[in-house]
Amino acid sequence: MIRKKILLLGDFSVGKTSLVRRYIDGTFDDKYLTTIGVKISKKVLTVEGVECELLIWDVEGSTPSKKISLGYYRGASGAIFVTDVTRRETLDNLQEHKEIFLAENPGAQYVTAYNKADMLSDIARERMAVGEDIFLTSAKEDENVEKLFVELVKKMLA
Amino acid sequence: MKNIQKILNAVLSKNIIEYILIDKDLIVLDSSKEVDKYLEKKLQIGDDLLSLFPEFVGAEEKIKEIFEEPTLIYTLESVYKNDYYVNMCVEHYDEETALILVHNITDRTLSQQKLLQYSNESILLNNTLQKILDSQNALLFVTNKDEITYVNEQFMEYFSLKRVSELKRRNLKIYEYLDANLKDYNALFERVNDKEEYLLIGNDTFILKATSIEETHKLFTLTKVTKLTKYMQIDNLTGVYKKSYFNACLERLLRKKTEAVLVVLDIDDFKHINDQYGHQTGDSVLKEFASLIQNNIRGNDVFARWGGEEFLLILENTNIENAMMKVEQLRRLVDTHIFKEIGHMTVSFGLAKKEEGDDVHSLLFRADKALYEAKNAGKNRLVFKKM
Repeated sequence: MIRKKILLLGDFSVGKTSLVRRYIDGTFDDKYLTTIGVKISKKVLTVEGVECELLIWDVEGSTPSKKISLGYYRGASGAIFVTDVTRRETLDNLQEHKEIFLAENPGAQYVTAYNKADMLSDIARERMAVGEDIFLTSAKEDENVEKLFVELVKKMLA
Repeated sequence: MKNIQKILNAVLSKNIIEYILIDKDLIVLDSSKEVDKYLEKKLQIGDDLLSLFPEFVGAEEKIKEIFEEPTLIYTLESVYKNDYYVNMCVEHYDEETALILVHNITDRTLSQQKLLQYSNESILLNNTLQKILDSQNALLFVTNKDEITYVNEQFMEYFSLKRVSELKRRNLKIYEYLDANLKDYNALFERVNDKEEYLLIGNDTFILKATSIEETHKLFTLTKVTKLTKYMQIDNLTGVYKKSYFNACLERLLRKKTEAVLVVLDIDDFKHINDQYGHQTGDSVLKEFASLIQNNIRGNDVFARWGGEEFLLILENTNIENAMMKVEQLRRLVDTHIFKEIGHMTVSFGLAKKEEGDDVHSLLFRADKALYEAKNAGKNRLVFKKM
């Protein structure tokens, strides 16, 4: 069985923990509880006939005054960058998160989640520029959550 | 050495630090008793480190280097394990063994988490409030000592500012636009307080409101109403400005130092058109005439209907020679134009140049007198009246 370490990265309160919780336990809690440090969860899945154990690092979100410890990035094969569609600044900061991660793991793969998509109107949803590796997700409504992880695994195994 | 052993025993007895010894294959050789509390299953000698601590997956090479190099250390901070928060540190023990210290930092981390939660929630609230403020009308927040401490995005955008400090550098004082010889924001507040004041900035009209915030600050709100006021100042029939708007423009113009010429236009023998073709046709002629002139002047020239068949035109930044050339062009334009319902008609023009000491009445009086002379001299001509 292949074992892969992936990180969830992004600003604080974008819903990283909610995405992990939805994916691992199938649950959702509206209450915001900030993550401190890192919490690692495991998930075994089979993608295109390959069994893979995902080690999902739910890393605390970066804030204007507190950046993420670089030690967490070591040895990661992939990352899910998470932004909050209700806060434009989290999208603006995406590039910085990508640059830091890829500097530590140049060959790693990634996908991007535009999270809290349940808050978007139909018109706003159409306006969101989602692409091949960008997914409109909602941990609350369980929208595209599994797809997000599976697509990342596919990229890592390719 | 004995002392170190004592200290180590003391630390271990408090269950703050646990240890694990591993070999080069990352197999557990030994551990302290309490390390199990951080794990999902009981640790046993011979266990694979990575299955007990998936946190080290991806760092295998780094850990293996530690066996060779005594100065190397690998640390992972604030890792959540089985309801505890721990710091983990891998150190060189000897060439065949590495020591992993697991430091319980749960109490400290939970306190930090509370603070971080409070801080993050405050940032979220602050960001939301900031977005609400930025979406509102232009806002200006001033202390009683005339110091501007906040302006919102709408304000910055309108005045092309990147930061509040630029206000000072550009010497931008809102009260100076009121043209009331006010010396500071306190004076502006006294004037505007409890009522609304119209403020003209460039070609825009704002409604200015002032609110006292505690005893120390004043909030000025500027609501842009340019479109609305322009719409209200448009003559329904002809689509050009009404006299009231024209007067405001003229007053503003008189305060400036730029050259300008005022023109009064009057359709010749308009009464005959009404009598011969009826008032409905008369209205159509007025509309067609207004549109003809409006389409042949510059964007910043102000054209208005005075009343009946009489119109007004301001040609700003224009000397009298150029103004006369322009008005002659307009005269010929009308003279050669075939009006849809009546065919030919003419217009007379009276011109007055803005002079020092002029007010609205004196300037209008001269232009009107010039028009009178143009009419008396046979119509379909322009006359310039000097001071």
